[in-house]
Amino acid sequence: MALHNPLRRTAATITNSTTTSMLLSSTPQTTGPSTAAATFICSQCRHATLLRRPKRPYTFTQLITLSDGSTFTHRTTSPAPVYRTTRDTRNSLQWNPSSNKLRGLEDDEAGRLAAFRARFGRSWDAAAAPPSAIAADPKDPVAQKAAEEAAKAQEQAAQEEEDNLLDLISSFGQEEASSGKKKKD
Amino acid sequence: MATGSNGARRIVSLLRPSLVDSGVCRSCQQTLGRRNYASAATEASPSEASSTAAPPVLKPVYTINAGMVLSRAPLVTRDLEPFEKAYHFYQKRLNERLTLPFTKYFYFKRGTPADADWKNKIRERRTPARDIGHYDPYGPEAWNDELLVGSRESDPEYQAEMLVQDAESTANNTSQDTSKREEIPRPFPRVTEADKKGDHHSLNRLLPRTLYLLVQSNEGYWKFPSSPVEKDESLRGAAERTLVQSAGINMNTWTVGYHPVGHHVYDFRHPRPGQATGTTLHGEKTFFMKGRIMTGQANLSANMQNLKDFKWLAKEEIPQYVLPQYFSNVKNMLSDR
Repeated sequence: MALHNPLRRTAATITNSTTTSMLLSSTPQTTGPSTAAATFICSQCRHATLLRRPKRPYTFTQLITLSDGSTFTHRTTSPAPVYRTTRDTRNSLQWNPSSNKLRGLEDDEAGRLAAFRARFGRSWDAAAAPPSAIAADPKDPVAQKAAEEAAKAQEQAAQEEEDNLLDLISSFGQEEASSGKKKKD
Repeated sequence: MATGSNGARRIVSLLRPSLVDSGVCRSCQQTLGRRNYASAATEASPSEASSTAAPPVLKPVYTINAGMVLSRAPLVTRDLEPFEKAYHFYQKRLNERLTLPFTKYFYFKRGTPADADWKNKIRERRTPARDIGHYDPYGPEAWNDELLVGSRESDPEYQAEMLVQDAESTANNTSQDTSKREEIPRPFPRVTEADKKGDHHSLNRLLPRTLYLLVQSNEGYWKFPSSPVEKDESLRGAAERTLVQSAGINMNTWTVGYHPVGHHVYDFRHPRPGQATGTTLHGEKTFFMKGRIMTGQANLSANMQNLKDFKWLAKEEIPQYVLPQYFSNVKNMLSDR
């Protein structure tokens, strides 16, 4: 500590020695040596002093690669040179609300999921399945046949308005089951 | 654009339509007009009588256009200036001398392959940092921290490359499977293929710059997509309709505000008869709305605005294509970066 201060302070405790009385010659004699407990002698020193290193930890430059491939560097105490994130704002649904991939929506291209649901699914899925299955792919002949059948059934239902609802539902379910069997074959 | 005395002067010039000739610039028109009056005062009275006979005061009729300044925001940060690179590099080497030394044993367990690898690398490069080149902050040559001319150590690309190389060599040295080499993907380059090919249709060019959509009419003039505002249509609605009608619906865009960010006045050389009977059009005024493109790409195949080409251009490329008068009107609403 004393090394670094250009102004060196030396505390001289008053004793009854002759040197102290010489140093304190300016002070009036009325104040006794007992009342002035201590005094500081400041002298300037001009030699080069040691600058201490500040207490900052060592930091490295690290390359961060986000999940979409964008990169940036930052300073960190970690000695790993490259860090690849697995989850960040680039693949989070919160920041990408328009991404269907992140939302986990299945794209049921072949209509297989819909067909499965129609056969084994819960009641609301089974009810919603036929239009999606029809819209799924017009190229598949089996699906088209099923769609035609469904359309025919609908026409019939429109004609026979007096048929009771239960009958309609039962015939609808049978048709679905038959189409499912055809697909399986 | 700016109001004030300039605007007042413009209003005065608009109130004297007989003097308006689009071939003469505004200040010249004014001086001409003033000289007219002065000469009228010196000349004989009959000419004065004819000049004060008051030209028929008719308001010049302009077509009101709405345009869309569709921009793509910069995708990467800007390139650093050489001075900035040198400054950051100097700070890094200075920091080597000023921070506490790296506490190796806190991060590397003694006797592990990672520890041995670290020791080898330190012996070689003399400092824990990978991105400041060969530099020993504790040795007698620590003062010699300046770079020589032409060295690449201050380049951000070089520094990223060194980091990746270090990660690769560590992965290879510490793995037990020596048969296959570990490959760590490099950061994507800041200069894309579209830049190299000069493909102005691509949105993947000039990543650190803002790009603007310009379209070319069948007559060959480049402009921002714009078209006349229809009846009972707001400026914003008209701008969005223009964009859809010219560049297609295959773009996810966002119109920033409800107010135009700039305008361009084009005076016809000779007034033309308007579509409504009995009106003459003196020119057209285009008001530009600001828009952003999020995803998608322009497609002129189904455009209804007589357009034949489009380009995505940065600000300093635009004057090569548009007319000088047009650019001087639109340049202040374009971003420099």
